Amino acid sequence: MSRKPLAALAAVTLGLAAGQATADEIRVGVVAPFSGPFALYGTQFRQAIEAWQATHGTRAGDHEISFVYKDSGGVNPDLARSLSQELVIRDRVDVLAGYVFTPNALSVAQLATQSETPVVIFNAATSAINAESPFFLRTSYTLPQVSAPLADWAYAQGIRSVVTTVADYGPGIDAETAFSEAFTARGGAVTDTIRMPLSTTDFAPFLQSVRATGPEAVFVFLPGGPPTFAYAKAYAENGLKEAGITFLGTAETEESNLQALGDGALGLHTAYHYSAAHDSDANRAFLAAVEGLGDDAAPVNWASVGAWDGADLIYRMVEAAGADGRAAIEAALGAEWESPRGPVRMDPESRTLVQNVYIREVTRNPQTGLLENAETGIIATVGDLGWKD
Amino acid sequence: MTLLLNIALDGIAYGMILFLVAVGLSVTMGLMRVVNLAHGGFALMGGALAHWAGADLGLGFWPALACAILGTVALALPLERLVYRRIYGFGELQQVLATIGLTFIVIAAVNRWQGSALLPVPLPETLSRTVDLGFRTLPAHRIAVILCGLGVILGLWLLLDRTRFGIRLRAAVDNRAIASAHGIVTDRIYMATFGLGAALAALGGVLGAELLPVDAYYPLRYMVLFLMVVAVGGMGSVTGSFAAALGLGITETAARYLVPDMATFAFYGIVILVLALRPQGLMGRIA
Amino acid sequence: MKRALPFILLLAGTAAMYLLMPYNLAFATRILVMGIFVLSIDLVLGFAGIATLGQAAMYGAGAYAAALFAAHAWAEPVAGLAVGAAAGAVVALLSGLVLMRASGLTLIMLTIAVAALLAETANRARDLTGGADGLRVAFGPVLGLWEFDFIGQTGFCYAAAVGACVLGLLALVARSPFGLSLRGLQSSPARMAAIGAPVYPRRVAAYTLGGAIAGIAGALSAQVAGLVSLETFSFTLSAEALVMLILGGTGRLWGALLGTVLFMFAHHYAAAADPFNWLFAIGALVMVVVFVLPGGLLSLPGALKGGRHD
Repeated sequence: MSRKPLAALAAVTLGLAAGQATADEIRVGVVAPFSGPFALYGTQFRQAIEAWQATHGTRAGDHEISFVYKDSGGVNPDLARSLSQELVIRDRVDVLAGYVFTPNALSVAQLATQSETPVVIFNAATSAINAESPFFLRTSYTLPQVSAPLADWAYAQGIRSVVTTVADYGPGIDAETAFSEAFTARGGAVTDTIRMPLSTTDFAPFLQSVRATGPEAVFVFLPGGPPTFAYAKAYAENGLKEAGITFLGTAETEESNLQALGDGALGLHTAYHYSAAHDSDANRAFLAAVEGLGDDAAPVNWASVGAWDGADLIYRMVEAAGADGRAAIEAALGAEWESPRGPVRMDPESRTLVQNVYIREVTRNPQTGLLENAETGIIATVGDLGWKD
Repeated sequence: MTLLLNIALDGIAYGMILFLVAVGLSVTMGLMRVVNLAHGGFALMGGALAHWAGADLGLGFWPALACAILGTVALALPLERLVYRRIYGFGELQQVLATIGLTFIVIAAVNRWQGSALLPVPLPETLSRTVDLGFRTLPAHRIAVILCGLGVILGLWLLLDRTRFGIRLRAAVDNRAIASAHGIVTDRIYMATFGLGAALAALGGVLGAELLPVDAYYPLRYMVLFLMVVAVGGMGSVTGSFAAALGLGITETAARYLVPDMATFAFYGIVILVLALRPQGLMGRIA
Repeated sequence: MKRALPFILLLAGTAAMYLLMPYNLAFATRILVMGIFVLSIDLVLGFAGIATLGQAAMYGAGAYAAALFAAHAWAEPVAGLAVGAAAGAVVALLSGLVLMRASGLTLIMLTIAVAALLAETANRARDLTGGADGLRVAFGPVLGLWEFDFIGQTGFCYAAAVGACVLGLLALVARSPFGLSLRGLQSSPARMAAIGAPVYPRRVAAYTLGGAIAGIAGALSAQVAGLVSLETFSFTLSAEALVMLILGGTGRLWGALLGTVLFMFAHHYAAAADPFNWLFAIGALVMVVVFVLPGGLLSLPGALKGGRHD
């Protein structure tokens, strides 16, 4: 069933000539939280895009590119959908981008498909999202993409028993499943699985339970912000490190709250696709570009790099295909470039980046005196391990 | 056995933190009868001031804490004069609206001033150590919080039950007109009590930050938690809030040890059970 | 004529939204859905005097029920609305049997706790509800005739029609003996009990009816967005809706609608103009209304005339 007639009908009803907008200006609508507890994402997205435009100009091929920003607050699919609709119909954007939370991204699937608007997801990390629309592309990562390699690495380090502690919600369960499957496939044992309610404020009981079980490592997945902060504190305070229980995490030591964790964070192990301490020219150029924005520059973390690479991808798509959504998707698939995180490729099948996953350890940088995620190992070119077609 | 000890220890420590962050609300809402949804706003002021004093002024933990409490009171007193004094006589709904509006403004102000990231207050060496109890270790700040909570409940009991101020306050709250007629300057009593509530909010915000980290959205994130403690404890009873905080803390901690994924159900289940059986709360006076 | 005036104004307002905001129909539709939800709180709080900060329990129940019904049984939206209304009513009835014995702060806390329990239940039942990822459902054409389009025309007209039916129903209820007895309950439960009116059953009935309407609003939001998330149960939603109601003025249907429109527009434009600081604007708006118009915006004409406050 073709959606084309519907789009045409809509264009006629509104007295618009959608799709025939002047070819030399391409607009990109960014939907992200700019207010509320998650406002940092929006700030990072915006700064990464501004940094990209400051260093790469506002033209891609024959087209002038401009960005429009809309505030979606927190998890609010109704609002995210309505804003995206407004962007496509009123602001007549040719590309949608942003989307921090899975429900917000899912809510635009139908809109993207019907209006043939490419959507570049900068963050939302549930594997299944991209199956909902062929117009979804993702420049972040997926949970299995980082959790499974972590399990492999832990096994290779001689760790044989692990307790998993994850927040009791969709992404937490996905991470737990990916980690446990990979770890047991290798021959390791997951001796206990603890699911912690999302509203948890005091993690001491969970970590005391872990300690009583006495595994060699504890795997953790939590949403960012206050829970991560409280968990990392509790890990340090309940003496798990002294008991020889290795911390295995993913985004828990991300850069924007890392300094707040203090010395308790030293030695935490994580597997992730981006560290601001990544040693490459592309990363240094990226950091310099963001710092060039001035004093208001927010800490750079994976969200910033998702938006930076998103802008990179959008420029490629616009240069190749202008406002033609289908052609833009074609142009994006298989694209390869050097990102601040390392080499990446847009996988034509899962439409998520194939990228390196790094094993990192929190250390104090001797020069700046600040905590950072020092990369200690690489697991090269990992695709979306959770993709099911 | 170790498990039981663990539950008791972590439960009491957690309950005491709940008490500390909610006791200010118990004073303003429980004693003064104003539906003060902005309580978290005052705790946030305290947390933000402490962070600012520590990070930007370079003060140590204790001076920063003092700065937070004094600063919050300094902000709260004018607010009492300008906002709260005018809504004491309003209906509950108008109070809800006014204090939510105030909360929004406090959040927006802190967000503008300090941004939306976490506002940590690093602990001093003495509090960040862990203390060995033989069967396990316990962070020193939890012990400090337990002691501090005991100090606060004792101090409030003395103040409210054993001083002239306490008698006047209760008289003023029960019947303002008659209290005034007896020569009690109710305006000043109200202002002083509100200042006390704000000071306790700031204290709780800073000391509780190890578990309830402070950021600009703190007041909305934990508003329900504060309200639950006071409601379960019973309006008008600081001792009730104390009992409720410990009870809820121990219940939820036990659930975290025994049935981790059911902890949320346990918390709200016990709230519903208590309130359905005793609508006036554990120690509330029947309205 | 005077009685019909608000209806005519409302009709004109809805038509104006459609004509003046053809590119913003999604936003206009959200206003309509929220308006229905706020009306449900007005019935419960404004008419029956039941203080609640947990009306989202019924909104969420309606949304999930409609989505699950569409996914597993029948994708026709109007049938989904009926299912949503039933789900909202059942949740309200079951919880109301316990809750309606309480009052004041205790009641408010109980309503919050019920919504929190339902949210956690939906989160845990992720095989059924999709948990935190949300539940995406494709709904069929309305009455088999009008398919939801991405411009939002169907969604808007559908929501407007549902809103009109709900408003009509509530206007009838407000004038019925049942509605009048609810008002009596609100102003003096003791006196109502003294004249032999069954206070508790009436409160349960009002809460159940309010729950059904909240369920309709939830179902409608699910159908228009094609997605349900755990946020439909959130405390924030209940609290925002309550703020809208008090802004407009409780106890009168127009107050609920006026407050919703004002809040939603203020939020939309303040957030668009300055996403970082719009909370200042909302906070200031709320406080100004409390101090200048304690009866809500609906008391504005009276206040201007220097007339009675009620």
